[in-house]
Amino acid sequence: MAALIRNLGARAAVAALSAKHVVPAAGSTALRMASTTPVEPKKADKPTVRQPDAVARSHLSDFGRYVAECLPKYVQKVQLTAGDELEVLIAPEGVVPVLQFLKDHHQAQFTNLVDIAGVDVPCRKNRFEVVYNLLSLRYNSRIRVKTYTDELTPLDSACEVHKAANWYEREIWDMYGVFFANHPDLRRILTDYGFEGHPQRRDFPLSGYVELRYDDEKKRVVCEPLELAQEFRKFDLSAPWEQFPNFRNANPPAEVVPPQAPAKK
Amino acid sequence: MAGREAVKRAVQQVRPILSVDREEARKRALNLYKAWYRQIPYIVMDYDIPMTVEQCRDKLREEFVKHRNVTDIRVIDMLVIKGQMELKESVEIWKQKGHIMRYWKESQDPKPTDFLSKFIQGVN
Repeated sequence: MAALIRNLGARAAVAALSAKHVVPAAGSTALRMASTTPVEPKKADKPTVRQPDAVARSHLSDFGRYVAECLPKYVQKVQLTAGDELEVLIAPEGVVPVLQFLKDHHQAQFTNLVDIAGVDVPCRKNRFEVVYNLLSLRYNSRIRVKTYTDELTPLDSACEVHKAANWYEREIWDMYGVFFANHPDLRRILTDYGFEGHPQRRDFPLSGYVELRYDDEKKRVVCEPLELAQEFRKFDLSAPWEQFPNFRNANPPAEVVPPQAPAKK
Repeated sequence: MAGREAVKRAVQQVRPILSVDREEARKRALNLYKAWYRQIPYIVMDYDIPMTVEQCRDKLREEFVKHRNVTDIRVIDMLVIKGQMELKESVEIWKQKGHIMRYWKESQDPKPTDFLSKFIQGVN
């Protein structure tokens, strides 16, 4: 008990000390306020934030506009993400024509399919995004073609345009359950035989639904359902403070390229 | 009911996966059933599973009956596609014995339903 009282006394003394120190510390708080004002954009030599080249940007947006003009039926939106990455957002029925155009057009020649990625946003009506990353070796440029679908709507397979799409589409099918029509060999690629479900979907639990173990009596691996520790939990990961002040002046995540070029003077 | 179906059809014009009407979807499901049914003796022989052909056929029927209430054509198609993929995995012996035996869920005890067995197992 005595120790507790002593402890309390010490804490009170510390409080009094800090209260005494508040008055001269006013200057330092002002300094701290000043340090959180936005950094001047003239500091472009920061290695963490890459500033895109204005000429490259205008070329990319011109090319995006040209694609949108050539394929008005399929292209819904053209945007520049992260400053200088061109994205073409297309309707799901236009995958093959758009990729064929980008591959065969003489001024594009996007002949390399680097990757096909999937995105799952469950709150949307068409919850899956399928992203085609293309590379033009001839012009040393990249383009991203995005489309959307839901669980049951099939997408056209890009295999007839790019042979590389075969395994990428199998991966998307395996991970997200997006069905690709006219795919030559659509089957699982990453999950085990007998695996049920599509593990990259947002509603698939991190631990999965089943677990495997070796059964010594049966002399083989058996599969048992997993008891989930908690049914569902929503994590609120947003913080009240700014996490990346260095990136305050970074490139905007996406800028829409308007369909008509601004009038030249 | 029919009116509501018509409205739904008018509102939601969707792209079919394989089948365009119920009859076609039903035919696909039946064909898949027949293919599995004919493959079962070979599966029993190739994988050397401790099950008889009759038990396997019961299990096959059970797996199909599990989805008997599915009415959406596209969902039926998707199930048929997945069943077809599984059949191919079984035919080509990409699966192993454990994968085939997984259908029977042998190592799982059925969940207790009455009070006393729940109490003994210590679950609510």
